[in-house]
Amino acid sequence: MGPLSRYARTDWFGPLLVTVLAIVIVGAFNPSFLSPLNIQVLLLAISVNALIAFSQMIIIAVGQMNLSVGAIGGLAAISFAGMMQVWGLPAPVAAVLALLIGLGAGMVNGAFIAWTGISAFVITLASLSMFKGINLGITQAQPFYGIPDAVKAFGNTTFIDPLPWLVLPTALVAAGLWFLLNRQALGRFILAVGGNQHAAELSGISVGFTVVAAHAISGLLAALAGIMLVARLQIGQPTIGDDWLILSFAAPVIGGAVLSGGHVSVSATLLGVVIVAIITQALVLFNIDPFLVQVVLGVLILWAVGINRLRELRLRKAATAGA
Amino acid sequence: MSRHVRKAAVLAGLALLAGAGTAAADDTRVALVPGGPHPYFSAWEQAGKDAARDFKLAAADYKVPQKWELSTQNQLLESLVTQGYNAFLVFPGDPVGSVSTVAELADSGAPVIATAGCLKDPSEAQFCLGTDVGNSAYLGTKELLKAMAGKKRILHVTGFLVDPNTQLRIDAVEKAAKEDGAQVVQVIADIDAPEPAEEKINAYLAAHAADVDGIISTAWVPSVVAANALRRIGDKRIQMVAIDHDEVVLKAIKDGFLHGTMLQNPYGQAYIGSHVVDRLRNGCTIKADAPWKTNALTNHFVDSGTVFVAADKVDTYVSAMQDITKSLLASFDATYLNCNS
Amino acid sequence: MHAEDSAAPPSHAGSPQATPRGASGRPRFWLTNEFGLIVLIAVFVTAFGLLTPGFLSPFNLFALGRTAAINVMIGLSMMVVIVTGGLNLAVGAIGVCAAMACGWLIQDAGLPWPLAILGGLAMGAALGFVNGWTVVRSGLHSFIITLASMSIFFGVMIFLSRGESYRELPSVFSSFGRLRFLDGTLSPLVLVAVAVAVLLVVLYRFTVAGREMLAAGAKPEAAALSGIRVDRVFIYCHMLSGLLAGSAALMLVARNGAALPSMAGQLGQDWLLPAFLGPVLGGTLLSGGRVSVVGTVLGALLVTLLTSGLLLLQVGEFWVQAFLGLLLLLAVLMDMARRSFLARRRMV
Repeated sequence: MGPLSRYARTDWFGPLLVTVLAIVIVGAFNPSFLSPLNIQVLLLAISVNALIAFSQMIIIAVGQMNLSVGAIGGLAAISFAGMMQVWGLPAPVAAVLALLIGLGAGMVNGAFIAWTGISAFVITLASLSMFKGINLGITQAQPFYGIPDAVKAFGNTTFIDPLPWLVLPTALVAAGLWFLLNRQALGRFILAVGGNQHAAELSGISVGFTVVAAHAISGLLAALAGIMLVARLQIGQPTIGDDWLILSFAAPVIGGAVLSGGHVSVSATLLGVVIVAIITQALVLFNIDPFLVQVVLGVLILWAVGINRLRELRLRKAATAGA
Repeated sequence: MSRHVRKAAVLAGLALLAGAGTAAADDTRVALVPGGPHPYFSAWEQAGKDAARDFKLAAADYKVPQKWELSTQNQLLESLVTQGYNAFLVFPGDPVGSVSTVAELADSGAPVIATAGCLKDPSEAQFCLGTDVGNSAYLGTKELLKAMAGKKRILHVTGFLVDPNTQLRIDAVEKAAKEDGAQVVQVIADIDAPEPAEEKINAYLAAHAADVDGIISTAWVPSVVAANALRRIGDKRIQMVAIDHDEVVLKAIKDGFLHGTMLQNPYGQAYIGSHVVDRLRNGCTIKADAPWKTNALTNHFVDSGTVFVAADKVDTYVSAMQDITKSLLASFDATYLNCNS
Repeated sequence: MHAEDSAAPPSHAGSPQATPRGASGRPRFWLTNEFGLIVLIAVFVTAFGLLTPGFLSPFNLFALGRTAAINVMIGLSMMVVIVTGGLNLAVGAIGVCAAMACGWLIQDAGLPWPLAILGGLAMGAALGFVNGWTVVRSGLHSFIITLASMSIFFGVMIFLSRGESYRELPSVFSSFGRLRFLDGTLSPLVLVAVAVAVLLVVLYRFTVAGREMLAAGAKPEAAALSGIRVDRVFIYCHMLSGLLAGSAALMLVARNGAALPSMAGQLGQDWLLPAFLGPVLGGTLLSGGRVSVVGTVLGALLVTLLTSGLLLLQVGEFWVQAFLGLLLLLAVLMDMARRSFLARRRMV
């Protein structure tokens, strides 16, 4: 039992290997992959996608699924843009309000789930349509163009070459989530409820409160992703969030998350986001048919859940063998 | 007795006036229906209002399907028929997929003009009024090659694959490039929306900026995104010709990042189209032997005009398009319609 | 999954277990979900008929019926998988693949259209088999498997077809889609959907296979112990789902007269909402083991006529989706309230 196998049992080791391998291979074939400009482009994509992944990850941790991640992100995005353009609010105020909208939307989800006991799948399917519908109703499918220059600059410039400003919120969120899940009581409650809801209840954890909190955090993160995307795209586009579903599951799953709950890893999820970003970019770089991106994402998900399952089975076998 | 006679006379007089009043206004209700939400069609809304006012139509309403999906557009069109719209200007959600729906619209007695995009013949649309996209892309590429001054490598960014115009544009750019011995090194399609455009164009430029000398964009959103990208990396070596009149594109032309843009005529398409369907409902018919143009989809095509705008004409582009609309309208009835009244 | 009444014995396939029985032992009809839906449909038809000109016009009824028929098929396609306690997110992707396969068979392989239709349906069933086999062999939840497979199926289809549509189909397709019976109010697509629904009712109520599906979905362990090959049954359910998704797509091809890769949206996800609305409104439990074919048909019909009515009321095309989401939420809440009310009454 050397140190290598101890690493191999962590969530982040596999994804880290794959990431390093991917960078080396792609960099070898196309040296401009490692240019500062390209790294900047990659980091811009990763910053936003990481938040989308975290938003789903926290719900996977509690053993549920959140189909409305994209819809909440889109609603927050157009609210942010709309409040600045139509009401003339300064960007920080609009951002805070948009984050509150995301928080509120998440709480609505969590409250319905906890109160009615209906599966998260159906509740978030309904709320997905409602939030998307409200988005369309407000915007009439037209984007908001009036984004202040400061916001546009935040989404597109760097503070230390090649690190763009957008990396900062994501880094803070990642650190915060790690801290929450590993050092805070609420984080432990979330993982406990996900691992075994009944046992958690018996040991005095308020399942309802935990579920609401997890969904609230998920909504907040989705809203933040939407706001950052507005900064990057420089318009408040109503279609933001439409294609977040697969991505929001792919990264946590690659990062070792167990879909029945109780086990997620912030660092591994982040590496999952990096892997997906590298592969997507590599497909463009090598002029590979862009349609294959979807196939690759699907295969990645299957491979990742397969590996997670194998690990789960092996751990169970080792546990029973050792006992 | 005389009191009753007087009352009858007054009533008859009122009836005559009322009849005259209604005869002056039309009962044509035009629905202008794009394929989905897109900034290109926003000019249709104003054009419809102006047409209703100028041609005394009962209505010329701009109705947008929630998303770029054929089923959504079909449901909307079916609903509009039930709501009493009796004339349609439609951007087909699919050049063949929309033929059935247009046939049903025509069956209900409504004249339909395929606007800004054509249906594949044979169809029940009266004709197709739009930009000759092939010609526009061809001219745009030629202008780009002029600006490229002998360099040969072109990147072509274009719109949705479900847009019937996209393939026409791809072919035209290819043809124009080949004629001058240049090469289209890459076509990035299906990016007429901000997120995929942002992702793909930036990824491409980050990796291959040194491998292209010119960019031709034949769709609205990629034009905006590419203009922003060139501005962000501060590049003036790569020449670019865009399409349409987004603020971002016009400013980039003025600041020297873009060589120019190809204007289309969305306002003119909607304005003229509304007038023509009204005439068709009021006794005119289409001349079979009018000077129709042909494109890959249809043999009954009317060009709504295109203009290349460089830095010197940026500020007056609106009047350039208005001139084209006016001249097209003035000659339209005589050229394309048989009117008995 | 949440522990709802998944322990309900599946002996009365298709009839809700939680309703109290009258003296004759048959469930009181007016307390069933289906009756509630019929009432709602009647209410809305009357309301829209009065409030909007033209809701009851022949053309609108025709268009409504046609769209409802397709939504019913999509709903049925998801329903047969929900019976197993699982989900099939790939209904749209499978449907589009089946339609494109049919298009390819006609245009590129030169087959006559009846054979091509069979080929398309076979493709749907085959893709369903892939889903089912993967779910059963891996032991993973069908949610994640079909999430991945929707990507893969759609991506491969787009890659093979280069995103191009099949637009030169024989005119029999579009003629069928435009055919109008009964004084112009009925589309033959409605008849197809009704026929399939009837077949499914027969399946679940009168055949061994259908009863096995319900048993396996309700309690897989118990079913396995009583000799049912649960794995095989689940695979059949997924194959049936693929077959029905393919049928829905072919109906859409008839409507459009062309096989378009974009017919179900990106990755086929535009079909997800109608796929769930029908069964959920109709009272099919997500935990499996209980099914209501009639409910699914009524649910899909209700959704379609609500959309049509809202559009006619000029509510604004853009608010329709918000209404549908609200409707789904209300439907599940009402269903939950109804069941808890009935459960309490049972205990008294």
